Amino acid sequence: MTTPKLDRRQMLKLEAAAIAAAAAGMPVPALAANLVAERDASELKWDKAACRFCGTGCSVMVATKDNRVVATHGDTKSEVNRGLNCVKGYFLSKIMYGHDRLTQPMLRKTNGKYDKNGEFTPVSWDEAFDIMAEKWKAAIKKRGPNGVAMFGSGQWTIWEGYAASKLYKAGFRTNNIDPNARHCMASAVAGMMRTFGIDEPPGCYDDIEAADAFVLWGSNMAEMHPILWTRLTDRRLSAPHVRVAVLSTFEHRSFDLADIGMVFVPQTDLYILNAIANHIIKTGRVNKEFVAAHTVFKRGQTDIGYGLRPEHPLQKKATGAAKANDSTDMTFDEYAKFVSDYTLEKAAQMSGVPLNRLEALAELYADPKTKVVSFWTMGFNQHTRGVWCNNLVYNIHLLTGKICEPGNSPFSLTGQPSACGTAREVGTFSHRLPADMVVTNKAHRDITEKIWQLPEGTIPDKNGAHAVLQSRMLKDGLINAYWVQVNNNLQAGPNANEETYPGFRNPDNFIVVSDAYPTVTALAADLVLPTAMWVEKEGAYGNAERRTQFWHQLVTAPGEAKSDLWQLMEFSKRFKIEEVWPEELIAKKPEVRGKTLFDVLYKNGQVDKFPTSEIEAGYGNEESKAFGFYVHKGLFEEYAQFGRGHGHDLAPFETYHRERGLRWPVVNGQETKWRFREGSDPYVKKGTEVQFYGHADGKARIFALPFEPAAEAPDTDYPFWLSTGRVLEHWHSGTMTRRVPELYKAFPEAVCFMHPDDAQDAKIRRGDEVKVISRRGFIRARVETRGRDRPPKGLVFVPWFDESKLINKVTLDATDPISLQTDFKKCAVRIEKV
Amino acid sequence: MTTTADGPKEEAKRGFIARSWDFLLELWGVLRRPSSVFALGTLVLAGFVAGVIFWGGFNTALELTNTEKFCTGCHEMKDNVYAELRSTIHFSNRSGVRATCPDCHVPHNWTDKIARKMQASKEVWGKIFGTIDTREKFLDHRLELAAHEWARFKANDSLECRNCHSADSMDITKQSPRASVAHQRFLFTGEKTCIDCHKGIAHKLPDMRSVPGWQ
Amino acid sequence: MMKRFGIAMLALAIAAGTGALTAQTLNSPLRGVSPLNEEGPAAPMTPMRNTAEKEPRNYPEQPPVIPHSIDGYQIDLNGNKCLTCHARARTAESQAPMVSITHFMDRDGQFLASVSPRRFFCTECHVPQNVVGPPVSNDFVDIDTLLSRASPGGKR
Repeated sequence: MTTPKLDRRQMLKLEAAAIAAAAAGMPVPALAANLVAERDASELKWDKAACRFCGTGCSVMVATKDNRVVATHGDTKSEVNRGLNCVKGYFLSKIMYGHDRLTQPMLRKTNGKYDKNGEFTPVSWDEAFDIMAEKWKAAIKKRGPNGVAMFGSGQWTIWEGYAASKLYKAGFRTNNIDPNARHCMASAVAGMMRTFGIDEPPGCYDDIEAADAFVLWGSNMAEMHPILWTRLTDRRLSAPHVRVAVLSTFEHRSFDLADIGMVFVPQTDLYILNAIANHIIKTGRVNKEFVAAHTVFKRGQTDIGYGLRPEHPLQKKATGAAKANDSTDMTFDEYAKFVSDYTLEKAAQMSGVPLNRLEALAELYADPKTKVVSFWTMGFNQHTRGVWCNNLVYNIHLLTGKICEPGNSPFSLTGQPSACGTAREVGTFSHRLPADMVVTNKAHRDITEKIWQLPEGTIPDKNGAHAVLQSRMLKDGLINAYWVQVNNNLQAGPNANEETYPGFRNPDNFIVVSDAYPTVTALAADLVLPTAMWVEKEGAYGNAERRTQFWHQLVTAPGEAKSDLWQLMEFSKRFKIEEVWPEELIAKKPEVRGKTLFDVLYKNGQVDKFPTSEIEAGYGNEESKAFGFYVHKGLFEEYAQFGRGHGHDLAPFETYHRERGLRWPVVNGQETKWRFREGSDPYVKKGTEVQFYGHADGKARIFALPFEPAAEAPDTDYPFWLSTGRVLEHWHSGTMTRRVPELYKAFPEAVCFMHPDDAQDAKIRRGDEVKVISRRGFIRARVETRGRDRPPKGLVFVPWFDESKLINKVTLDATDPISLQTDFKKCAVRIEKV
Repeated sequence: MTTTADGPKEEAKRGFIARSWDFLLELWGVLRRPSSVFALGTLVLAGFVAGVIFWGGFNTALELTNTEKFCTGCHEMKDNVYAELRSTIHFSNRSGVRATCPDCHVPHNWTDKIARKMQASKEVWGKIFGTIDTREKFLDHRLELAAHEWARFKANDSLECRNCHSADSMDITKQSPRASVAHQRFLFTGEKTCIDCHKGIAHKLPDMRSVPGWQ
Repeated sequence: MMKRFGIAMLALAIAAGTGALTAQTLNSPLRGVSPLNEEGPAAPMTPMRNTAEKEPRNYPEQPPVIPHSIDGYQIDLNGNKCLTCHARARTAESQAPMVSITHFMDRDGQFLASVSPRRFFCTECHVPQNVVGPPVSNDFVDIDTLLSRASPGGKR
């Protein structure tokens, strides 16, 4: 076979095409692609990894060749996805190759010196850490430990979150560290802790194949958890008796599979939830045995405010704000009386949902023969009464005893790939420690300090600043040194105009952002650190069904990019213990004197216990190479001590490199599918059948919680509700997915979804440019009256993936007062034609 | 109270009917006798004018029922089929030429139109008795309703489509490659008629499992 | 003309390379030119690519993008418009590509008589493309290019 000869002209044409195609991000088939390459040349190395995107936690197979990822596909051996990926997952191969990857640290400088208003200038890692350490020390000196803070992520790997938490809570001695998971599922955490006393869902994905009905409460699974949606679709279409109910404040793609579709007025979900409980009681379908044996009733604190700044009138008015999480005992009869005001008729009236649909929905729960799974995501969690919504849906499952068994499952889905694994289990929240422990509990601090081999009193006993509070404190100049890793909070955080941006640019503050790409958050920073991502490092994520998954480092990062883990540990070398700990504390453990935070936190005889020779042959490991020990294993094994024997058992490190993930607690090599159920959960005492062991009395709480209005609702000046959210093709702020040309072209820019009648009334046409304006700011976007999202009259929906339209300049920073999670789904706007 | 209030009303009603009956009998009496006052020509002319007025009135009334405003006057149509139409190309498109309900659903020639209108009286019946007064009921009937229309289109070779979309006037070079190929193969050869491929382009589809070509 | 353009590009590339230690503005083409505290105009909505021509895949496992518009295509409990052309039995008439055989497999890898319900919603994996140039290009290199680079003119 001869290669056809190409003349010069043809060659040039081909090259030009190749250049054009490369510029457009298109693959260019090589000249001889039609020839079968020799076997050894065409052989690919395939390894498993967890998908980089959502909380579903699909496993993917990654092909590498010559230190590059060349292909990815769904892992057929994975229980979660059995060979499938969504469109984002299928394009994972390209997320690391966006043309503008950051490859060296960049510091704002003028005339060779750091200047808050200077231009970004490439610097060495040494110089970057020098200025960073200088600013950290200055902030600690000026304001004490709470002068520094960190905003991390549910996209951190488990060891990254663990190392960061340790660096801040024990090293710098501040609890001012919070993950972006605060924006995402803090309400689910607080809901679990209140009802069950222990975090994370009782069920697992296997519930899907066993259920007779699904109820989606504020969850657009069709776009946000696509692979779980394929499982749900499979179940619905394979078993015709299965029913799907979808509730939302606007119609979206999940309605395509809905037998019962319900669009309700924002905030009235609280009303509907209580009305269902009332319906169950009124029609005599309470599972009395279950309720008597496994539950107690609580009356929750009301009028709890909206998590706004204390001087805000709404906040001043709230009588229960200071004790938002409190509750008092009550009886079943008192509870029944409490919910008796909430009728389906009144719920229909308030929510705008036809009564017959609410009845059909209530019957899915009430009918003892129907196994029902409730799914929820941001519709519940991003809600000023998000914790209540979580509690109220548990109420329904508890009243009917439809819980902790295959097909009967209240199931909170997480947004991020390791919101569970890193943010929740590791406890990177400003109030948490590993294994559900909290900083305000002395016993919990003692346990933590003991495992960390630190003197008593190292960990501060007050909650640190949570996400929204961090932004406020930056603006107020109370936090002066701030490190952001794996998130894009200028785009993702609420009220960017009045809080986040002014905080970043406050001349008193030094802002460091670690990222792989120049996000808007990076552009607003003072120092940008180039970061290794995904399979450029060894990683571990924990998904929404308690499944912990590992992957190996498969390629090296470009240029000088380094992983978050390396950055955290290397930075810790810049601090002598005397610079961050007071003399009294050092006196309790004098041998730490003269050591660095690196020595005390990481080279502590535990984390550095495993030599690099234990790294599986054939895989690189940049961090371990740099520090001289198997960092990931050391951190993991130290961390695993927290959960083993305490209901959060993790398997040995190596197991996870072999398995497609395991659902904790993993006891005697067995994972746990349904918690709190005898026979499935090893922690349940024999003979109890069901035991909610998170609470000392072994019982779950059923909460009496009323309807309370939203923080901001439409009025004559701002007549529309604004809801924000995601789209299928883009992950969060689009940093990765908008750099994949195929995904960019699938949904190039955010639009303002609007009802055609509203548009007509305002003399706006599809495609017209409008301003979406709130009391806080505006964006400009094109109007879409036809697309995949179909809002009712009076509501507009704008996705937040598009950094050229920062919709969070418009949103309100009202939070749930218990979970401190922002309500990104409700504020008031007006629409003006540009 | 009730009886006293109803009593006189009943009386009045009976009185009205009785009086109307008397009037009609009298009118009949006049009409069946030859005219002794007017000339034949006058009578013919008057009849012609009355006919024009009557005919015009009838057609005007008919045309009034043949508008989108009339069709969407009831919520069954407005909230279901009309709401769905609004997001489709037959409602909004680049040239602004759009289809209204009768363009597709009422035959344009007179006899067929009248026949269709008589059929439609069944819809009035349905309206009065609330056959599809909820979305759920509409969805339950959707396949039946759609099947009627498909059968009609199939039987008349998609006449109402062709009133606007003439195959002879199609410039296939202006069509997308897929459309151009399909039209040449199936439409121009007469192998298929419009509705065979273009179901569900103006409203949402019913359960398609029993429909050929769908699964 | 082309040559001069090439030289200019080369000069730019060199400047970018040697300028590594001097000040340079970090920017994001995805954000555009508007400063962070301002909001710029929104680009007009773009049409969907509407052809029958396939785009090459980046790797065999990638789901092909949809080369045509799917405006108004219904995929819901009532039916799946895509399958009226792409279903096995429909492809003779439609001449559209048949859905891949993987789509007939259920969760356990068993072949079913028709497309597996788990694959029902096509748009979870297959997406149409707007006619628009992505502001940031992608440096992904496909395997064939990588192999030909490894042995330029080499024996196959």
